[in-house]
Amino acid sequence: MGARTVSIAVEDYRFAPAYELPSWPFVAPPELGSERVVRHPIVIVGAGPAGLTLACDLARRGVRALLLDEDDTVGVRGASSRGICYAQKSLEIFARLGIYERVAQKGITWSFGRTFSDRQEVYNFNLQTDSVSVQPPFINLQQFYIEWFLVERILELGLTELRWKNRVTQVTPLADGVRVEVDTPAGRYTIDADHLVDASGANSPIRTQLGIDAHPSRSTDRWCISDVRFKKPLPTERWTWVDAPFNEGRAVWQHLMGDGVWRIDYQMPEDCDTAHISKAEVAGARLRAQLGPGVEFEFVWIGPYGYRDHLLDDFRHGRILFIGDSAHVVSPFGARGGNSGIQDAANLGWKLALVAQGQAGDALLDTYDAERRPAAVENLRVTSRSARFLAPRTPAEHTLRRAVVALASRHAFARALVNTGRMSVANDYPAAPHLPEGARTVQNLPLRHLDGTPTTLMELLAEGTHCLGLWFAPDRAQAGAAADIAASLPLRLVAVGGDSALPTLQPDPRLARHFGEPPKGSLLVVRPDAYRAALLKDPTPASISAAVRTALAHR
Amino acid sequence: MITEPHIPDPDGFYAAWVGAHEGLTEAQSADFNARLVLLLANQCGDQAVLLACIAAASDSGDPSLPSPQESA
Repeated sequence: MGARTVSIAVEDYRFAPAYELPSWPFVAPPELGSERVVRHPIVIVGAGPAGLTLACDLARRGVRALLLDEDDTVGVRGASSRGICYAQKSLEIFARLGIYERVAQKGITWSFGRTFSDRQEVYNFNLQTDSVSVQPPFINLQQFYIEWFLVERILELGLTELRWKNRVTQVTPLADGVRVEVDTPAGRYTIDADHLVDASGANSPIRTQLGIDAHPSRSTDRWCISDVRFKKPLPTERWTWVDAPFNEGRAVWQHLMGDGVWRIDYQMPEDCDTAHISKAEVAGARLRAQLGPGVEFEFVWIGPYGYRDHLLDDFRHGRILFIGDSAHVVSPFGARGGNSGIQDAANLGWKLALVAQGQAGDALLDTYDAERRPAAVENLRVTSRSARFLAPRTPAEHTLRRAVVALASRHAFARALVNTGRMSVANDYPAAPHLPEGARTVQNLPLRHLDGTPTTLMELLAEGTHCLGLWFAPDRAQAGAAADIAASLPLRLVAVGGDSALPTLQPDPRLARHFGEPPKGSLLVVRPDAYRAALLKDPTPASISAAVRTALAHR
Repeated sequence: MITEPHIPDPDGFYAAWVGAHEGLTEAQSADFNARLVLLLANQCGDQAVLLACIAAASDSGDPSLPSPQESA
């Protein structure tokens, strides 16, 4: 390592000018200096991707919330590392919230990944193959842009009170709510919340203060992130090396983000000096070895990281709900951190909305834990397997991995064992009393109304908070009989073909295939978060009502 | 998992297996065996059988040694 540092000492490495991130003003809250404790229906702590998605989701549903954040800007420590890959389900959520166009315009759309061992490609995948969504499988974009767009959208919707520089110092569970103590530059105040959502991140002070064990474990695997701009034309694909020749036989990640910035992650020796490996001249030498001579580059960010994981036993503690990193943290392989936080928020948003509006009972909030905790368990299992492939713990594990990589270059079957991360998916939800068949995601299919105007599944779910009853070729009498039921529930009936008085979509083979060719006359219940809850083969007013009430955890 | 005799020519298989290790260092032998396991596993293609084989192989038959459990 020392010899290499010396050999490149002649090169001068430049940093790009720092990003100018927006900041929002601190406004003294009305509760300051008041003796009266004001009660807020929904208080969200933390304006990261999960907290902001939840606030925006609620606002899109017409539900007010109070969002407290200790900072006054987006990103963490400036334009640093953090999440970069946004998966299709997250992008579909962004489409429903109204920020997808900005994300797509600023970000890098991709679906193809390649994995290399030394100089040889050993595995590739194309996520577009199974997609029927309007949104692509992935868009890469610096996390602070996502947060920025969400904040601006929240301000535009005008229903969320965003309080910057408001740090929660104490939460106290009450019988029917939560007492929240807040510190601000202008003093302290106290509020009560019907429900408190902790989206304050991996180091949640709320979790710590309540003494909730997150079962943390820390990996000894070490990485160095280099965010860098250069002119060498490379494909906008996800490239990973199990053992890169330009990183002393250790792993490397290479991904393009917005503004022509590449995220390159280098696996480091476990016992490395993290300050040393992130010096510009050391990171620069690695990059020079990768790009070859004559390619100009400038750094945007360099930083070491180690990863860890944790998982709460319960994502709901009475009136306190944990979303995103405060509930679960996994290793970064496969982009399952930020995406699952965004999807936690979208899972909880419609449930909190229906409870706040008196259309569902408290039991619906239990289903957040019943669905998102198994999703987190699955993400932890998947990412732990990737981490173990990437950082063998013993010489024997190195031997096994060497066998996989050696065979993968010659035999197709072994390529499936090369694991540099399994990309984030919208997790299935297990069968439960409120989900007798379990639930799986429904992609954002492009659709057409009968008159030819285009729409999408997300558009059909965008206004208000309702389940969608997609009715395949109903007859007029059948549909008419169900109209009263639909009006008394958060349910919107839409026909696909057939002859009824319902709003009707053109029949579409992609739609039918996506839903497993539902028989004529059957009705599919899609939840507000675009998860398929039930298929009724022979829908009647009573069975439709029962299916929706079950999905809403009515007792 | 089949534990009844299933290899048509056991002595021939053993001779070929041992023969393939001739001239290899200990590390090369370990690499060879790992590749062989993968190739055989793909022939089997039955997850339950593969896991049963891993469990059976974990039992060294020596009661003084621990029998490792499958981990995450």
